[in-house]
Amino acid sequence: MSSFSPPTAPGNRVRIVVATSVMLTFISYWRAAAIVLNDLASSAYYAGGIAEQAVGKSAPWFILGVMLFSFTVRAVYVESCSMFVRGGVYRVVKEALGGTLAKLSVSALMFDYVLTGPISGVSAGQYIVGLLNEILVTADTHGWIPRAAHNIFHGTPQFDVNWTSVVFALIVTVYYWWENIKGIHESSEKALWVMQITTVMVVMLLGWSAITLLKHGYQSVPLPTPANLHFSKESLGFLHYRFPEQSLAQRFGILGILIAFGHSVLAMSGEESLAQVNRELAHPKLKNLKRAAIVIALYSFIFTGLTALLFVMIIPDSVRIPIYKDNLIAGLAMYLWGPELLRLLFRGFVVVVGFLILSGAVNTAIIGSNGVLNRVSEDGVLADWFRRPQKKYGTSYRIINLIVGLQIFTIIASRGDVYALGEAYAFGVIWSFAFKGLAMLVLRFKYKGERGWKVPINFHIGRYEIPFGMASVTMVLLAVALVNLFTKSVATVSGIAFSAVFFVIFTLSEYANRKKHAHGQQQNDQFQLLQRDTVERESLNIRPGNVLVPVRDYNTLTHLHWALEKIDTLEQDVVVMSARISRFGAAAYDLTPEQIFSDYEQTLFTRAVAVAESFGKKVSLLVVPAGDVWAAIVQTANNLESSAVVAGVSSKMAPPEQAFNLGRAWEALPEPKRQFVFQVVFPDDHVESFRIGPHSPSMKDEDVLLLHRLWLNITREPGLDKLHHHEILREALTRFAHDYGARDRDDILKELRRLNAADAAEAGRGSPNPPPPQVVQRESDDGPPANRSS
Amino acid sequence: MDFIITVAARLLETMFVVGLLGSLGVLLISFVEDAETLFHMEDKGHS
Repeated sequence: MSSFSPPTAPGNRVRIVVATSVMLTFISYWRAAAIVLNDLASSAYYAGGIAEQAVGKSAPWFILGVMLFSFTVRAVYVESCSMFVRGGVYRVVKEALGGTLAKLSVSALMFDYVLTGPISGVSAGQYIVGLLNEILVTADTHGWIPRAAHNIFHGTPQFDVNWTSVVFALIVTVYYWWENIKGIHESSEKALWVMQITTVMVVMLLGWSAITLLKHGYQSVPLPTPANLHFSKESLGFLHYRFPEQSLAQRFGILGILIAFGHSVLAMSGEESLAQVNRELAHPKLKNLKRAAIVIALYSFIFTGLTALLFVMIIPDSVRIPIYKDNLIAGLAMYLWGPELLRLLFRGFVVVVGFLILSGAVNTAIIGSNGVLNRVSEDGVLADWFRRPQKKYGTSYRIINLIVGLQIFTIIASRGDVYALGEAYAFGVIWSFAFKGLAMLVLRFKYKGERGWKVPINFHIGRYEIPFGMASVTMVLLAVALVNLFTKSVATVSGIAFSAVFFVIFTLSEYANRKKHAHGQQQNDQFQLLQRDTVERESLNIRPGNVLVPVRDYNTLTHLHWALEKIDTLEQDVVVMSARISRFGAAAYDLTPEQIFSDYEQTLFTRAVAVAESFGKKVSLLVVPAGDVWAAIVQTANNLESSAVVAGVSSKMAPPEQAFNLGRAWEALPEPKRQFVFQVVFPDDHVESFRIGPHSPSMKDEDVLLLHRLWLNITREPGLDKLHHHEILREALTRFAHDYGARDRDDILKELRRLNAADAAEAGRGSPNPPPPQVVQRESDDGPPANRSS
Repeated sequence: MDFIITVAARLLETMFVVGLLGSLGVLLISFVEDAETLFHMEDKGHS
């Protein structure tokens, strides 16, 4: 055993390499657009109804206007994403506007996120219950409802729309709460799939609507002039008390337009998600960001904007608001041209798509707010207590509980009223946009770093650049935000109360953290953070063939014990790695080294160093930010030319599943890539080993025997006496590949499933899941493979 | 009170109208840039 050689820097500080470039599995702009549209396009399901209830029949023009204006808001977000800054929203806004406004900005953003869940869940519920009630009515007209049911309900059985929607929203929210507690990885695949189905529905809806307009004609949509605005008592908010005659629009003219615009701004909610997916975009990042932004803007303009027009043009006035105000797309489906059964079927399709897209938005809201609060906590504005990982799943469960708790409270308090939820939601949406615009405007003067793109219309006066375009967009956002303060009384009261509570929590947490700072600084002083853009062997000063030991929970470091016990670190280096997971689509900006190496990582590495010291062996320490833990491990192992990865048993999955995930991440890795051995250490030091990457399969005795018998028989044939075993295997595999690609595919698969089930039963695994193709269990568990390269 | 409300309303209206005009400019220039980005896609993204 070697003598202890601590990985220290001058001054006895332990050196830790902190990689600052996030190890993400990058996505195309199509996928990025799909993720954003899952949030943005979901507004089409409720924005039109809310706007018409507030301003009257000319609402669609305002929705269209908002969708056009959203092109410019998108430009602000593109500029924001093109700036090379690190840290969260709080840090960026703080740099521009100071700490107080930054806290207010994050509070507004949180209000936006917290409300996204309830409005999406309740709206999905409205569509589902609306369909169920319609089916019950149809069934009743055909005499399919039993008389007894009639007597109980005093007529056709009907669900209470609002309360059933509340129950539905609660179920969806609790489901996604549990998924987030478990830390289930969010995939862009699912978002793309949902958007593909949504696109099918949108194309059908627009095409069928066009036919309907040709067959039935259309109702005119009043132009968006002050004379055509009909504000309800609720939509004038506080102004109603001052101007009870409701003639505000006529009295102020343009102010009426502004108020109506403010009631329609909800249609562009979700635009902020563009910043959340920016980090994951593939190269060339800026170009792909722009492309994603174009796709998003066009899609939402067509879907949200045009459908809002079609609602008024096709659905009769007598039923549009009285019956379909909370599920207008379903109402549109019912008033299309064609047989009733077909329309009902299409409505069912609309509801299924609505369920998919709206329930997805519930999840996006939890992920987004969890991401924002994590960043805020890393910035010292929210107590570390909130960020403590869940023991089993490692997720920031306290933050998730807080968010979901607030969402459940909101859902119940709303009593299923989509209009009230929408009004409150608009407060968060417009104020987070307004703060964003204001911050970006100020940063034009304060931030002198790299900026990939600027919102157009910039001219120079002397040596000063005047950002006229950015100022214009910000002015509209501020004007709308301010007018909404007066016209949305429920939103203003609830929004200010919510923001005030968060503001107080942030301020108190910041104060408490500042007091803790001196102690924290001392603890941090044990470590010297070496910032590196990417993970390289040279920066860690290690040799090829090293062993990578990922660690996550400081209470379960058995695998590190095992690795250090088996490895002579004079011969083979050991790298202890922690992947700092940033959930997919959860953060707008990359992290600073201090954010990556947080309190938790300090405790984790203090324990890891203590283990190394107890063995008197040297370990290298590494922290990498990552979107997916498997991709991070594989990418790090490849970059460091590791010969083995030693991990502990996961609380979520069995070792073969861990190996499967690792193998899948390895397959996704670009060339050149190295094979390595993955070893999972159990608490009792028992080890299961897997090879990651292509390799010779381990063969069972009976298979070897069969091959040998074939070889004996075939070599008796004339001219084949010098045949090798591998040539028989090659011929067999070639024939197998041919049969698999041709007519026998189903038979082959059936037989393989039977074999696999028999193997599983024999191994006592009890699961017929096939072992992953790229990993095969090794027989030896003597220790990590020796360093052949050194 | 009415005077203050009228002044505030006029101020908001001015912000809104000037902002919308400027935003219209941003929109038109963005459309041109968007068209260039859309129709000069050298390296298309893969879904």
